[in-house]
Amino acid sequence: MSMQKKLSGIIPKYKRFPRGYEFKNFEGQPEENLTQTGTPARVTIPLRQGFGNEVAPIVKSGQKVAAGQIIGRDDESVSNPVHSSVNGKVVEIEKIDYLGRETGAVVIESDGTGDWQMLEGHSSKWEDLSAEKIGELIYLSGAGSAGTAGIPTRFNSSVIVPEEVENVIIQGVGSQVHNLSLNVLLRGEGLSHFIEGLKILKKMMAGAQFHLALNRSQKSLIKSVSQLLPTDDSINFFTVPGKYPVERDEVLTPLLLEAGFPYGYCTANVGVIVLDIQAVLHVYEAVVEGKPLIERTIALCGPGFMEKPHVKARIGSSLEHVIKGEVNADKNLRFVLNSSLTGESLSDSSLPIDRTFTTIIALLEENEREFLFFVRPGFRKDSYSRTCLSILFRKNSRMFQKSCGTNIHGERRPCIFCTFCEEVCPVGIIPHLLFHYVEKDVIDETLLKYKIFNCVECNLCSYVCPSKIPVAQRIKEGKAKLLDEGCKCPVPSVVLKGVEKYKSVK
Amino acid sequence: MKLVRLLIDRLYDIRALNKLKPLIDAVDAAMFGPAETTEGGPHIVDNVDLKRYMSYVIVALLPATLASIYFYGWSVLRIIIVSYIVGGVVEVIFAIVRKKEIHEGFLVTGLIFPLVLPPTTPLWVVAVGVVFGVLFGKEMFGGTGRNIFNPALVGRLFITIAFPAIMTTNWQVPFTDAITSATPLAVYKTTGSMASIYDLFVGKTAGSMGETCRIAIIFGGLFLIFTKVSNWRIPVSYIGTVFVFAAIGNRLAPGSIAPPLFQVLTGGLLFGALFMATDPVTSPFTRMGKYSFGILCGILTVLIRSFSGYVEGVMFSIVIMNALAPLIDHIVLMLKYRPVKI
Repeated sequence: MSMQKKLSGIIPKYKRFPRGYEFKNFEGQPEENLTQTGTPARVTIPLRQGFGNEVAPIVKSGQKVAAGQIIGRDDESVSNPVHSSVNGKVVEIEKIDYLGRETGAVVIESDGTGDWQMLEGHSSKWEDLSAEKIGELIYLSGAGSAGTAGIPTRFNSSVIVPEEVENVIIQGVGSQVHNLSLNVLLRGEGLSHFIEGLKILKKMMAGAQFHLALNRSQKSLIKSVSQLLPTDDSINFFTVPGKYPVERDEVLTPLLLEAGFPYGYCTANVGVIVLDIQAVLHVYEAVVEGKPLIERTIALCGPGFMEKPHVKARIGSSLEHVIKGEVNADKNLRFVLNSSLTGESLSDSSLPIDRTFTTIIALLEENEREFLFFVRPGFRKDSYSRTCLSILFRKNSRMFQKSCGTNIHGERRPCIFCTFCEEVCPVGIIPHLLFHYVEKDVIDETLLKYKIFNCVECNLCSYVCPSKIPVAQRIKEGKAKLLDEGCKCPVPSVVLKGVEKYKSVK
Repeated sequence: MKLVRLLIDRLYDIRALNKLKPLIDAVDAAMFGPAETTEGGPHIVDNVDLKRYMSYVIVALLPATLASIYFYGWSVLRIIIVSYIVGGVVEVIFAIVRKKEIHEGFLVTGLIFPLVLPPTTPLWVVAVGVVFGVLFGKEMFGGTGRNIFNPALVGRLFITIAFPAIMTTNWQVPFTDAITSATPLAVYKTTGSMASIYDLFVGKTAGSMGETCRIAIIFGGLFLIFTKVSNWRIPVSYIGTVFVFAAIGNRLAPGSIAPPLFQVLTGGLLFGALFMATDPVTSPFTRMGKYSFGILCGILTVLIRSFSGYVEGVMFSIVIMNALAPLIDHIVLMLKYRPVKI
């Protein structure tokens, strides 16, 4: 009997997610190959990457640094160290306008070599390391900055400490329009490294229950994972539908844990840590291989790239360096970071990449008018409604892949209460209702009553709106105005952890 | 394509046509999609706009329209053209005066309105009805999206009350020029005999132009529900309630309440439930509100049909419930969301 169980592996539990919207069959999915971008001649390392406060530089201009050497660190505030990603010399410490905020950055000129300094004390026999030491390796490697709340260690890398973590959720759901391929990350040794990484995290956060969630469409991956997972129920294995935005922390956490969620707070405040697969691999690399977080695997996706490889790039490389040679130069493009729905626009190709990069999406700027647009059948047009013929070609059709450009596809019209936004809203609020109140400048407890702070800003309501109303943007404005007037989201009836610390993270 | 572009650009250049700018804009926008791009968050958006959305209602109405042309001849087409032209002129005048763009909602009103009229309606009555409907059903409230009542129903209601002789006794028998005052519902009310289910399904009975051929209506309605243009909650609860209420009522008062299947297949019930009660603007937007709306419509319809002086109650019940829709939403929201103190 036990033999049989071992063969079939752990059977994942399917979690239904009735809301959200599945982006199927879009053009520009990344190919399943991985290329190295090589050591860049010059890197710009932002001093704030991922979760945590900006750190102070501990190197000076002109100083020689090695790849993997810590160049910025602040043990007092909630933060994670930042490393040089190349061997070379610091040429400048400057302020850059980075992803919507001003951040300090260290500019390093590389000597062209590709090796790096290993972390001290790492061990391929990680079982022999103490939880304390594992935490130290994770912190020193920079992997602690993963996720929206960091990985808790003794070193202020998150707002809580390992003992306060009750649940750890590892997700490889990929519900975006374009997703990094897990097959690329987990091929070969990758999968066993991932499982080891899971166990390492489990040792460090011994009191926590672990949960793994994968997209139910990734059948072969689910099969191989289920055979490698420990059979002692120490890890709950789930599959979820790839409906955007199920991968968001605030959506996945209540779905998997079947518990309420204090929207407006971060998951760490309720003792939950959500990490993606690449973060777990970074943990493995740090603890077992002693490799600091100086490289990221990034998927180049979208119709604007000619080849769409996954690239392994040094952190601090300029965008230009990462995407060079792959861009379709004939077309007018918009580069977007990580998500076509919520991502930052990457307008300056000299800006560096950092630890938060997962996908770079090149969308077509469709500012040309299409003849008889609204009566065209739409073999390549995506829609939440079923009025486009693209619904007939959903199963990985190469011939009719849906286009993705930035055109607004229609004129702005008044709301007709079609309730599309309500049907897709992942947190079950009524977006158009909130929109109408904010539009009429009713900024008071009415908005709180209709749970404006539950909004996770996934922008799906703006996506589906046939009247082309910027619903999500108005809701965001409403929230900002409420906060200006000193309103806070109602305090939920759960014990919150590390809230004050979280607030101090800027 | 280039020729069209050139032509539209010429129209913009003619100074005498400056006043008609909303009309030219509308033609321009119908011919060419927008050039505008998203401002980020979200960077890409759904391909459906209100033009496509509304044109699907027209597509769904085509089977019923074609059936009515088949049953009643080309005069049907004449009525539809008058409705579109006269109603369109009102819409354009309002857009010009308000200096606003022309909205798509009229495309639907202009076709639904003639389909709920008797086939023999004089053209001038059609014109009066559509002007009243668009003017007092929609424009007075501020245009599409702000109206309380379904504009087509407002027009129909007005001419029913203003010209009762024309609107209630002039029913043409399909395929003939014969005029009868007896629709199946009226026949049932006076004599108690019922038309055959087959005749009702196919549309071989007297009635309004678009509402007699039930197969075409069901087909169109299901198409709309499948494409998500209309929500299934209202038609299901509306028709379901009529069926259940009539089944119970027919047991208790067999003389006045007709049996369920006959109720569902006669009069404007299917047309009303699938095409008019589902108008998103004039029905509740909450889910519970949609169910309640459908159930109350159903009860009212059966009550009016059975116990009032009128033989048909679909139009009245939908208009009454249109007025109550905001209240229903208010109550549902009140029950669902607790007030918060700050």
